[in-house]
Amino acid sequence: MTRPMPRRRSAVPATLTLVLGVLLLSACAPNAASTDTAVAVRSTADECELSSTEAPSGTVVFDVTNDGTDATEFYVYAADGTTIIAEVENVGPGITRQVVVEAAAGDYVTACKPGMTGDGIRATFTVTD
Amino acid sequence: MLANFLIGLREGLEAALVVGILVAYLVRTDRRALLRQVWFGVGLAAGVSIGVGALLTLGPQGLSFEAQEIIGGVLSIAAVGLITWMIFWMGKTARYLKGNLENALENAIAVGKGAIIAMALLAVGREGLETALFLWAGITSAGSSLAPIAGASLGIATAVALGWLIFKGAVRLNLRVFFQWTGVFLIIVAGGVLAYGIHDLQEAGVLPGLDNLAFDASAAVPPGSVHGTILKGVFNFSAQTTVLQAVAWFAYVVPVMWLFVRMAFHSGPPAPRSSQVPSQAPSQVPATEPQRDLAAADA
Repeated sequence: MTRPMPRRRSAVPATLTLVLGVLLLSACAPNAASTDTAVAVRSTADECELSSTEAPSGTVVFDVTNDGTDATEFYVYAADGTTIIAEVENVGPGITRQVVVEAAAGDYVTACKPGMTGDGIRATFTVTD
Repeated sequence: MLANFLIGLREGLEAALVVGILVAYLVRTDRRALLRQVWFGVGLAAGVSIGVGALLTLGPQGLSFEAQEIIGGVLSIAAVGLITWMIFWMGKTARYLKGNLENALENAIAVGKGAIIAMALLAVGREGLETALFLWAGITSAGSSLAPIAGASLGIATAVALGWLIFKGAVRLNLRVFFQWTGVFLIIVAGGVLAYGIHDLQEAGVLPGLDNLAFDASAAVPPGSVHGTILKGVFNFSAQTTVLQAVAWFAYVVPVMWLFVRMAFHSGPPAPRSSQVPSQAPSQVPATEPQRDLAAADA
């Protein structure tokens, strides 16, 4: 009964390769630059204020600040209101996190989700040519 | 402060519990030498996460939303594989311990070495990047207030403390009970990690059905509440669970639990039920019970 167990020495290299592979394959997005359009978002328990509801096409940077007491999330949906274009979770009270979107012209839907649940406080966001 | 504390707790809890159980297992089976691999994996995952988080926060390139979700999803599904392997590895090792098969035991250790690093690496690295990005956001907002980063750090520290408590509790259990119940617990945890990974891939648009909900319990279990945080942190329970997540959870948990229960509960005398049972359950071949491997619960 001294049957040797199968060897699995390759577990670590395999995992590392996987992690690095995923990192390399995944697309990067540029952080805020001076040519970008910055939109400040203020999320509270019952409000989702955007400094602008319009932006020219290109890189739009949403700076999401949580002024409430619950953790919040911010979503940018396509015009259908279900396809997620970008989102950020875990925006704790007093914290500002960025959502960067490469936006083509068209309508979008933004949503703050105080309490990290539900459909959120939604509004239409327009990207012009 | 409380909300940031709960985010830190939630992000750190599952990793702390899995690592706590892994360490308890190694200590119980007298393999303290392998603890070095655990801490190497934990350190590497934490270091890479914090480093990459800093690059993405402070550097010129951020990570696209899809990429972050795909990383989270793929790492989660890889973690499920390793946690499952760990469960059956622990169960298998228990059998070798019972049979006093030194040779086979040495092989089991050799097998474990690299995989232990991978185990610790993935347990911590899975949520590591999101946690690091959250912490860096807290640090960059520290100019206006230190409360968010203080709350988040306290949350993570609490998760680590709970992992340590699990370790302390686990080393007191008798070996058979330890293998049985940590196995059952880890299967539920792994099912949740799988569902979490599926949800990440659904959010990234890689898998369909993001809006096809199996149930919505967010009224009873608000994600921001203390019990919601603990359910999410330990079992990855999502108040709004999609049909695909639910199907994946059952398709994983039911067969794996069946296999594990058959192996760990039915392959010997019935499990001890009360404290009257002697600290070591009788083995099928009591005469060959190895002494050296029944590490005393002195840690």
